[in-house]
Amino acid sequence: MFDYLANPTRFVRIADMLFRPVAVLATGLILVGLYFALFDSPADYQQGDTVRIMYVHVPAAWLAVLGYVAMGVCALFYIVWRHPLADIALRAMAPIGALFAMLTLVTGSLWGKPMWGAWWVWDARLTSMLILFFFYLAVIALANGFDRAERGSRPAALLALVGVLNVPIVKFSVDWWNTLHQPASLIRSGGVSIDPSMLTPLLFMLAGFHLYFIALVILRMKALLIERRITSLQLRQARQTTKPGHATNTGTNA
Amino acid sequence: MSSAAVNTAKTNAMTNASNAFLRLNDIAIMRGQRLIQQGLTHDMKAAGITLITGPNGSGKSSLLRAIAGRLAPAQGSIECNVPILYIGHQDGLSPALNGRQNLQSWANLNGYAATDGEIERAIDALNASNFADLPVRVLSRGQRRRFALARLCLGPEQALWLLDEPSAGLDIDTTQLLDRVISQHLDKGGMVMAATHLPLAPKTRPAILALDDINGATA
Amino acid sequence: MNGFIQQIQRDLKIAWASRLDIGVILLFFVIIVTMFPLAIGPQPDILRPLAVPLLWIAAFLSILAGFDRLFAADLRDGWLDQVALSTLPLFAYVIAKAVAHWLVSALPLLLAVPIVGLLLQVESAVLPSLVIALLIGTAALTLLGVIGASLASGARQAGGLMALLVLPLALPVLIFGVLASQPEAGMLLSPHLKLLAAVLLVLLAIAPPVAAAALGEADDDGGA
Repeated sequence: MFDYLANPTRFVRIADMLFRPVAVLATGLILVGLYFALFDSPADYQQGDTVRIMYVHVPAAWLAVLGYVAMGVCALFYIVWRHPLADIALRAMAPIGALFAMLTLVTGSLWGKPMWGAWWVWDARLTSMLILFFFYLAVIALANGFDRAERGSRPAALLALVGVLNVPIVKFSVDWWNTLHQPASLIRSGGVSIDPSMLTPLLFMLAGFHLYFIALVILRMKALLIERRITSLQLRQARQTTKPGHATNTGTNA
Repeated sequence: MSSAAVNTAKTNAMTNASNAFLRLNDIAIMRGQRLIQQGLTHDMKAAGITLITGPNGSGKSSLLRAIAGRLAPAQGSIECNVPILYIGHQDGLSPALNGRQNLQSWANLNGYAATDGEIERAIDALNASNFADLPVRVLSRGQRRRFALARLCLGPEQALWLLDEPSAGLDIDTTQLLDRVISQHLDKGGMVMAATHLPLAPKTRPAILALDDINGATA
Repeated sequence: MNGFIQQIQRDLKIAWASRLDIGVILLFFVIIVTMFPLAIGPQPDILRPLAVPLLWIAAFLSILAGFDRLFAADLRDGWLDQVALSTLPLFAYVIAKAVAHWLVSALPLLLAVPIVGLLLQVESAVLPSLVIALLIGTAALTLLGVIGASLASGARQAGGLMALLVLPLALPVLIFGVLASQPEAGMLLSPHLKLLAAVLLVLLAIAPPVAAAALGEADDDGGA
C-alpha cells in the first residue's frame, strides 16, 4: 500500500527525541531571564518598575512577527515544492504565533495603563500588532474552514504568503496614519533607553522564547500528524464496513 | 490494491491518418490524503474509444479530471498531443443565459470562430432547437445536458473527448444522437474517453478500462 | 486578448440578466450610510468631519457583501473547468472577473456618491478627490476580494471567512483612501493618492497569480 506516512513517521520519532531537551532549555533560559528581569535589573527612571513588562512584551512581539515570517516560509515550501510536512508546520505555527501576538497586545495594554490611564491606545506599534493578530486569525480560520479537513491547507498557505507580502505595507500605512493623526507618541520610537544591565535579561528572555516557540511547534506538529493518521484509519474503517451483497446505491451521481 | 484491468477490443477503421494519441503511464490519483487509484496504464490512438467503468468512489471522475489537467496525478504521467474537450458531470452552462448564448460564449472563450450557422448545426445535432432560446435555468437536466454535449460539435476535429456520464439524464432518442456524434468524431480520427454506467456507442466497440474501488470492500 | 474581453462580456451579460441585484447593492450602501447619523446624531457639525470616512466604510461593506458571488457561480456551473481548458490563462480570467465585478458592484456606488454624500453633509468641494480616491480604492478592494473569494470558496462560512481575509488586508487602502479623499490645499494628485495607487499596483501584481493558484485545482467535489 502506498505509504505516504513514511516521512511523517520519521518526523514523529525525531520530534520525540528533541522535545524534552528543547523544552527544558527553554524553561531554564526563561527562568534565568525572569530572575534578571525582576530582581537584578534597574527600574526605569520615568516609568518605575512597570518597565519590567518590556522583558515579556518585546520578545513576544518579536516572536509574533518572526512566527508569521516562518509561517510564510512554510507556505512557500508547501506551494512551490509541495513538501508534505510544510503544511503541518504551517498549521502548527499559526495558533502559537497568534498567542504571541495576543500576549504582546495584553502586555502592551498592561504596560500602558499606568502610563496613559487607559487600557488601550491606538499607538502605531500596538495597532500594527493588532492587525497582525487578525492576519493570524484569518489563516487559522481558513485552514480549518472546510468540511474536508485537508482542503484548507492550500488556501491557508496562499493566504500566509499574501500576508507576508502585506505586513510591510500594513506597517507602513499604520505608521503613516499614526504620524498624521496622533501628535504625541507615548512610547518613543527609540523605546526605553537600553542600559547594558537591561540587555542581559532581554537576551535571555528572547532566547528562551525562541526555544519555547520551537518546542510548542514540535509538540503541535506531532499532535497534528497523529490526528491525521487517526482520520485516515477511520476513513478506511468506514469503507470496509460496507458489506458486499448489501444493496448499495450504485446509481449515477448525475 | 490492484491495477486496472484493460480489455482491448478491435479498434475502428481509420478513414483519416492521424497521429493522435493518449498515454497514461502508471498514474496514481489522490484526493486530499486518500489514494483513489494507482498503477493505471492505458494507451489510446486516433479513432480510439475507451469506456471507464467501476463502482462509485473508484475514481472515474477523478481520472477524467486528471487527464483534463484539472487534477495533478500523484504519480506517473499523462501524454496527449491533441486538444482536449472535457464535459464533466457539471454542465458548464450559466443558468442565466439561454442555450444558444451559452454555446456562443463557450466558443468565443476558446477562440473557435463559430458562425451562427455552426452553432445552429451543433444545437440540431442534439435536437435542442426547440428550447435554445429559453434561459437554461428553466430547462430539465436532460435538456441542459444536450447543450453541454452540443459543445462537442463545435470543437476541433481530432480532439480527445473526456466525457463524465454523458448519457445520464438523456432519453433514448437523444442517446442515439449522442452515439452518432461520437461515431462521426471517431471516423474523423478523434478519440473519446467516457466514464459511464450505461452502454455508450456500442457500435464503435469501445475498449473498457475497469476501475476497482481500492479503498473499500471489493466484490 | 479576445478571450479576456469575451469573459468580461459574458459576466456583464449574466449580470444584466439579474440587473435588479445592482439596486440591492445600492440600497445596502444607502442603508449603511443612514445608520451612522441615526447612531451618532444629526448635527451637521459632528457629521461633516466624519462624512468621508463613513462613506468609505459604507462603500467597503457594500462591495464586501458581493464577494462570495465572485467565483461561486463559475465553480458551481463547471465553467471554471472550461476556462482552465481554454487558451485563456487563468490569471487573465481572474483579472476579467475583477473588472466585470468592479463594473457591476463598484461603479454604481461611485455614481451614487454625490447624492448619497448629501446624507452625511459631504462638502461638495471634496467630491472630485473623493470620487477619484474611491475609484482607485474600490479597484484595490475588488482585487482583494478576488484573493478572498478564490481562497475561501467552498468553505463552510465562505462569506464571513472572506470578510475576515479581506478586511485586514484592506486597512492600508482605507487609510490612504480616506487621506487621499480630503487632501490639503485641494490638490488632486496628493501624495496619499499616489500611495493609494501604489497599493493598487502591488495588488494587481499579487492578486491574479494567487487567485489562479487557488483556483488551479478547484474541485467540483462530485461524481465517482
